[in-house]
Amino acid sequence: MRHVRSVLAVLTVLALLAGVGLAQKTLTIARPTDPVSLDPHFETTAPGSWVFSQILEPLITVNQDMEIEGRLATDWEFIDDTRLRFTLRQGVTFSDGTPFDAEAVKYTWDRAWDEERPGRWKSLAGPVEGVEIVDDYTVDLVAAQPYGPLLLTATMPYTGIVSPTAAEELGDDFGRQPVGTGPFTFVEWRANDRITLEANDDYWGGRPNLDRVVFRTIPEEGARMLSLRAGEVDMVLMPTPSDLPALESDPNFVVEGAPGVGVFYLAFNLDRDAVADVRVRQAVAHAIDRELIVEAILEGGGVLATSVIGEPVFGYKDMELLERYPYDPERARELLEEAGYARGSDGFMVDENGDRLVLELLPSNGRSLKDREIAETLQEFLRQAGIDVEMDIFEWATTFELMRGATLDYDLNSFTWFTTTADADYTMYSNYVSTELPPASWNRWRYANDDVDEWLKAARASLDMDEREELYHRVQDQLAHDLPAIPLYGSYEVAALRANVEGFVAHPIQYLLDLHPVDIVD
Amino acid sequence: MFSYLIRRILIAVPLLLGVVFIVIASFDLVPGDPAALILGEFATESAVAELRAELGLDRPLLVRYADTVVNLLQGDLGRSLTERRPVAVILGETFPLTAQLAGAAIALVLLVGIPLGLIAAMRPGSWIDNVIRVVSLAGLSMPVFWTGLVFMVIFSVNLGITPVSGTGTWRHLILPSVTLALPSIAVIARMTRSTVLEVLREDFIRTARAKGISERSVLVKHMLRNAMIPIVTVLGLQLGQMLGGAVLTETVFAWPGVGRLTVFAIFNRDYPLMQGVVMVLAMVYVGVNLLVDLSYGLFDPRVRYA
Amino acid sequence: MSLPEPGSSAPSPQASAPSGGAHEARRKALRRFFGNKLGVAGAVIVVGFILMAIFAPYLAPFDPAEQSLLNRRQAPNATYWLGTDEFGRDILSRIIYGARVSLGVALGSVGIGLIVGSTAGAIAGYVGGAVDTLVMRVMDLLLAFPYLLLAIVIVSALGPGMTNTIIAIAVWTVPAFARVARSAVLQIKERDFVVAALALGAKEQRVMRVHLLPNFGATLVVYASLYLAYAILMESALSFLGLGVQPPRASWAGMISNGRNYLTAAPHIATIPGVAIALAVLGFNLLGDAIRDVYDPRATRDG
Repeated sequence: MRHVRSVLAVLTVLALLAGVGLAQKTLTIARPTDPVSLDPHFETTAPGSWVFSQILEPLITVNQDMEIEGRLATDWEFIDDTRLRFTLRQGVTFSDGTPFDAEAVKYTWDRAWDEERPGRWKSLAGPVEGVEIVDDYTVDLVAAQPYGPLLLTATMPYTGIVSPTAAEELGDDFGRQPVGTGPFTFVEWRANDRITLEANDDYWGGRPNLDRVVFRTIPEEGARMLSLRAGEVDMVLMPTPSDLPALESDPNFVVEGAPGVGVFYLAFNLDRDAVADVRVRQAVAHAIDRELIVEAILEGGGVLATSVIGEPVFGYKDMELLERYPYDPERARELLEEAGYARGSDGFMVDENGDRLVLELLPSNGRSLKDREIAETLQEFLRQAGIDVEMDIFEWATTFELMRGATLDYDLNSFTWFTTTADADYTMYSNYVSTELPPASWNRWRYANDDVDEWLKAARASLDMDEREELYHRVQDQLAHDLPAIPLYGSYEVAALRANVEGFVAHPIQYLLDLHPVDIVD
Repeated sequence: MFSYLIRRILIAVPLLLGVVFIVIASFDLVPGDPAALILGEFATESAVAELRAELGLDRPLLVRYADTVVNLLQGDLGRSLTERRPVAVILGETFPLTAQLAGAAIALVLLVGIPLGLIAAMRPGSWIDNVIRVVSLAGLSMPVFWTGLVFMVIFSVNLGITPVSGTGTWRHLILPSVTLALPSIAVIARMTRSTVLEVLREDFIRTARAKGISERSVLVKHMLRNAMIPIVTVLGLQLGQMLGGAVLTETVFAWPGVGRLTVFAIFNRDYPLMQGVVMVLAMVYVGVNLLVDLSYGLFDPRVRYA
Repeated sequence: MSLPEPGSSAPSPQASAPSGGAHEARRKALRRFFGNKLGVAGAVIVVGFILMAIFAPYLAPFDPAEQSLLNRRQAPNATYWLGTDEFGRDILSRIIYGARVSLGVALGSVGIGLIVGSTAGAIAGYVGGAVDTLVMRVMDLLLAFPYLLLAIVIVSALGPGMTNTIIAIAVWTVPAFARVARSAVLQIKERDFVVAALALGAKEQRVMRVHLLPNFGATLVVYASLYLAYAILMESALSFLGLGVQPPRASWAGMISNGRNYLTAAPHIATIPGVAIALAVLGFNLLGDAIRDVYDPRATRDG
């Protein structure tokens, strides 16, 4: 009898424990757009990466302190100039039971490098040729020539290793239900509504604290914030900056942020006569109160940009723009006078024919935080300095086509560029080497400087990090003088959370979202 | 009757061919390259050109059109360029949600708009008439993204009685359907009021009253019946617009319906998807019009379907 | 009896043969109009807004484009009577200048729709046959195409800006007016006085001008006043999608669209232009109703 009683007691305790266990910990995250695909090879947006990087892991990754960490690789070293050797983690299986080994790594890279249908990020990977198998748990990442950013390329979320079995079986549908080794597994995707993931019980790094993660698509900014306040979601990615002070002072919420790798800038098109003169570009820089824009328009959603690349990026150097080009509309007018303009009767600067100085602006719209607002403010700041700005605000598809065009019929355009690899090469090479012109590449300012070309090519080919850093610093000094683009604000990766969400640390690289350590406590 | 139906459905064929042609021609008129958009910011020019060829976008307009029509005749709506899924599947996911929303909104319009119009028409020029007119016009003049957000603040955040956004339960449907219905309620109330006033002035109503038929019977049998034709017509138009144009309501309330799909398709230059959306909505338009026309027979026995 | 035309939803036009003493009729009409208090109120609102738009530079206390970022999002106060927006611009001045854009877009697009649509519809109804079929099929095509999609296609193809916004909205209003005009013409065509005039050998053009237009004019006015509200809403939808008029110009709807992100922090930014739109819509509709009453001899003061 006593025996029975103790069995009952044990059962009761077990039932209670089970009951506690049943209280599922679900983290609901709101963000503005749905991914197009969850296939890392065919999705280039952050909203896609936030989801698939919970499911698929690369060999190595960059942590929040911008240090390289192993994920599916335990060790890595350069064995020569063009060859990076990875030792793979053993005993890992994909969530469909397929074992993880060198074959899977090779399969993933071959799939991304497929001639017929290459992965979207192949063009980012410079001279990288692919993966060679050394043995079951050793692979080499091979480049055609020495390639300084090789190590950081391997950290990109797009290199997440896919289950070869699932990828073969599902074909195009792999992008709707990816299978990987990550801390979470895919459950359901209701298009434009929600994507549900659940904990991977067998995750090699330990089961995550959360049972489920739900990514909700809430396009309207106000609705996202109201959902957080009403308790319908636990975390908002890309929250409304003007709401942040109120949330920070409310004990029910916390705001987590980190300076990011993106820079929003006003870029000049040096092919256009009006801005070909460096004095005009410098005048524009003097005409804009960048500190005030960051304070009043971004309100904590961005930080003052100090270079054309973000502070966490390898190769960064402060371009000392505030010292070189302080806000001074009078100085702007003087520079314009030096460039041959005169003060007109209506306050605008005029050329020798008496025609008003008009600059045409193609702004990004709805693509970066407050981009349309900043365009309006720039227009007003330049008006104060006697420059008339005309702008065409299109939806993104049109703007994108115009920006990529072989000729650009605008003097100015605004845009955010993310250095996704966190290596200066990624931005500098495609943006400032004189031959990297649109539509093939991204030198949208048509910037040409022989020294800069030489430095950037040398930095790309070198594996000596100190030498590379020194070269990038030189480039930034030159850009500070030539001013093909004026950096306005640096991205600030920020999330607003309910206070009971613990363990979340914002990541400087906006594609990365680490939910493994996150927990919900009561 | 049967031949009438057949004829009405046949009329829809050139209409569908027409809307498909507009979509395909808009590819040539509207800037923006689907291939470049799909490949994203980092794609090389040759990759974009390859994808354009793979998607068949480099062929001349009429070839693309003929090709599309042949596929459509075989019942193939094609695949979305961006999502790489069959358009039919995507429509199958989104259309029911929009139908729910539009259905709930139309029900509200019927239940609120018509009675408001009737009340106003009973006492033309009275204070209640004026209040109804002014209030309903206010409903017509506020953009739905504003009313929607205000409703959210009041009912979801402050009172906590409705979900903020999303789908799932019937409670999720309340705020979006009310928001969507508001402008239509205003229109229907106005229409009801003015048609009822018209009908009331017609001779047969006066005759009926003179004959001593009870007021209620006059109202129900004669007046409402005669007033229903224009009301149903406008209702049909409103329903058509709701099914196709609930973009803003769907965006504000994170409702994954056809409206948002439409904007997604155009903003991504996803022509097969655009085509599918437009075809379905054109069919809905034809269907709703047909129903409206058929309903005339219910209200006016003189209507014959020859 | 044939099927009623879908779209014959407007209050059916009241056929009355134009009578002799035109002067007398006008006086009667004026008297009837001024007896309608709501109608007068509508006229006052409409005229007020139009004057405001015309004399904007004299009325606005500040430059509507001038930003003062340090004074952003101020509640209404002694300096800024209606407060400031997210850029520190004076909302009152922007409302005054915004009347030019909002009323311009609404009147422009509905005006084009009215002229093009009712002409096409009236011709279709009057001539009948193949012309009728062709015109109405084209109108069906426009109606069957999701209107916002059509507007986006037009704005994307032509580029943003006030003129193209007007065109995009006008394209959408054309079929509605065409239908109303056509069904009105069909009804009136059968009426005795038109048949009689034609039998007496009156020229067709003259019949259209003298007998038909005045008779469906009232219906069109009511429709037009309703569509002004729709046009403003359409413009708001385009603003919402970022395709409206270009800065630094602002429409009222654009002001709401931009201000909605500050709903909790500074609700006045979006509410004030909302009130302006509501007032304008109200004014146009009250005026439209009153005008219809004036033309409708049987209607008592019930608009």
